[in-house]
Amino acid sequence: MAAVKQTVDQVEALEAYKHGFVTTLDQEFAPKGLNADTVRFISAKKDEPDWMLQWRLEAFERWLALEEPHWAKIHHAPIDYQDSYYYAAPKTKAGPMSLDDVDPEVLATYAKLGIPLREQEVLAGVQGAPKYAVDAVFDSVSVVTTFKAELAKVGVIFCSMSEAIREHGDLVRQYLGSVVPVSDNYFACLNSAVFSDGSFVYVPPGVRCPMELSTYFRINAAESGQFERTLIIADKGAYVSYLEGCTAPMRDENQLHAAVVELIALDDAEIKYSTVQNWYPGDAQGKGGIYNFVTKRGDCRGDRSKVSWTQVETGSAITWKYPSCILRGDGSSGEFYSIAVTNNRQQADTGTKMIHLGRDTRSRIISKGISAGGSSNTYRGLVSAHPKAANARNFTQCDSLLIGKSCAAHTVPYIEARNATARLEHEATTTRLSEEQLFYVMQRGLSQEDAVALLVNGFVREVLQELPMEFAVEAQKLVAISLEGSVG
Amino acid sequence: MSLGSALKTGDVAELPSRRDEDWRWTDLRGLIRTLPAASPPGDAAALKPGPFDDLADETVTFLNGRRLSGAGPVVISADASRTIALRFVNQAHGTAHHSALSIALEPGVVLTLLETHEGAGAAYVADVELDIRLGEGARLQRVVLIDEADDAIAVATAEVELGSHADFAQTALTRGAKRQRFETRLRHGTAAKARLDGVYLLGGERRGDLTSEVIHNHLGATTGQLTKGCVRDQARGVFQGRIIVNRGADGTDARMGHHALILSERAEVDAKPELEIYADDVSCSHGNTVGALDEEALFYMAQRGIPDPEARGLLTEAFVGEVVDRIEHEGARDIARAWVAERLRAAQ
Repeated sequence: MAAVKQTVDQVEALEAYKHGFVTTLDQEFAPKGLNADTVRFISAKKDEPDWMLQWRLEAFERWLALEEPHWAKIHHAPIDYQDSYYYAAPKTKAGPMSLDDVDPEVLATYAKLGIPLREQEVLAGVQGAPKYAVDAVFDSVSVVTTFKAELAKVGVIFCSMSEAIREHGDLVRQYLGSVVPVSDNYFACLNSAVFSDGSFVYVPPGVRCPMELSTYFRINAAESGQFERTLIIADKGAYVSYLEGCTAPMRDENQLHAAVVELIALDDAEIKYSTVQNWYPGDAQGKGGIYNFVTKRGDCRGDRSKVSWTQVETGSAITWKYPSCILRGDGSSGEFYSIAVTNNRQQADTGTKMIHLGRDTRSRIISKGISAGGSSNTYRGLVSAHPKAANARNFTQCDSLLIGKSCAAHTVPYIEARNATARLEHEATTTRLSEEQLFYVMQRGLSQEDAVALLVNGFVREVLQELPMEFAVEAQKLVAISLEGSVG
Repeated sequence: MSLGSALKTGDVAELPSRRDEDWRWTDLRGLIRTLPAASPPGDAAALKPGPFDDLADETVTFLNGRRLSGAGPVVISADASRTIALRFVNQAHGTAHHSALSIALEPGVVLTLLETHEGAGAAYVADVELDIRLGEGARLQRVVLIDEADDAIAVATAEVELGSHADFAQTALTRGAKRQRFETRLRHGTAAKARLDGVYLLGGERRGDLTSEVIHNHLGATTGQLTKGCVRDQARGVFQGRIIVNRGADGTDARMGHHALILSERAEVDAKPELEIYADDVSCSHGNTVGALDEEALFYMAQRGIPDPEARGLLTEAFVGEVVDRIEHEGARDIARAWVAERLRAAQ
């Protein structure tokens, strides 16, 4: 009977989007719409110091003067920024809370999503299993952050952004907006005005963060947007690996998710940032789904520092994001590993920027795009070597795989070389899934769906290898699920 | 929005600017504040022989935007010329002119078009518009030498339409200008073939821009592109190549390569090889590299007693030579090779 159980589990696991449930609970909202009062409301809710409020208000002023960009290869109905809630949070008692104070419904939600919020649960598994600390963000607030005490012992600060603004104001003030300036772009500017929660990480000099840090973002409320803000600082010689996961309920409406992530690596520091993005992608007809318009940027400020981005993008109705590296420090390096899967009516316009400013800087880009159904998948990237970036090196490889007659795949790489000693290399291919390989695998007894999954896994393997172990397994499953029903 | 329409309407707002994504590296609006006056007719008696005169059956010359002989479209039928030299000569000083020509190849005919853009003036603004149509199974080989004045602004655009099984092969060689752009926009026919090659050799403060857009709308067409460039001093080279494969264009095979050498500290290369694909039974790829001369090859040559400047010259010539070697017409290939060698030597 074990085999039958396994089959049932597998079928359940393959259901198109298993995170699409809604949690019913008492929530409080900011009044619908967006104006300076909304910004004040959010700031007051978070009990922020005055400088933070002024910062937000200034961002809001600037946002009013900006225009929504339209250069990406994406199409959507105009977004009505007044027809949304900019703050939604589960009702709670005031003050700092322990896990016992969190609404049981919220806890149940995370249990259902398989996110361990109780520290002992993480330990309950196999002996010697790696620990990872979680910051759980539910709509506009962080509900709990685990392992804070254990991390504090080695001096690592891991908390929600709201808490950081209150408790570590100086650090936040020093670094916030220093990588992604307030008016960097339309969505980053909007985020600067109305950002709600996100994670804050500071790793002190010479410390190797003893466990993986992670944030799990959940959008639950209807007609709301999520605007998280994450700031990670690795001081001299520090190392941190950070994971990000996200899901949302299945709804007919489009919800906006406009996040900003800033990474700062000082001398000899390394930050590894991994994302498994699984926002609700909308249904097969393209109704509903999240608009994921995100600005992520890492600043290799110190010499020999390193920022590495790994992303698995399977969700969202529209993805518009370019995790980038500013290679400022001499000898610094940046990496970008990406898998972007689109199916049905999904649209993804994603890629990276590698800005070589310092001497002997290196960057590597591996991007694997898979489009199926009626979806569209664009790689857009920029590699630039400035006059002072002597001996800069870049290698870029973008491969696109097409599954089906009505999908689209685009590659738009920009290269700007202003240095005689820089060496920049780019190669790209676009092909369809090989019929020969498919035939070979199916001959061996695999169903068409399994055969596609196997071949696709081979195609993206180079990137999967870059993910932390637990995520890699999850990501591999996700890729298979996302392509469900795309062949035959 | 183009230089041509700005010259026609006299409206600088018609000039493409940095804000137009396809012109971000060749900004004309930022450069031309007011449009210059129209060029006077040139002096035909002062015309020097063109580089391809000896190879051509017929020569069509535009002097300051005016065609010297004949009118209307050039139609190549089965009994017409096989080799045409097409010259755009700019004798103007500080003025602007526009030239336009249509060339049509009837089904099955073969034409070699040897084109030159010659700068015999200074600080002029020149715009060239070509409309080229190839009937079913027609073959056209186009070799273009662009030799504009240092301080000129020159844009040449060709719209090319291929009938089914047509074959179009083009090699454009440029040494840039204050701003120079050579653009080819090609629409494929069923099972048609296109080769779009380019070379830019830029020095001083010259800028050269080779841009192309190839659209596959039908079954089984192939595109091959190879562009190589060398920039030195404060020159800036731009390569933009876009291949669009629309739905239904199954069996498309498209390959694009762009490789550039930066030979001085302050030179710059900007490149954007783009693929836009809406069909699934395709095989498309592009490769793009920018770097310096291979140190190992230089070391090898130094070991063989070849002086450094000569070694660099040889390596650069060999690098660019790959593109020139792809020209099928023997006579044109020899002239192109000599053209490249002369410009590389002049730069040293």
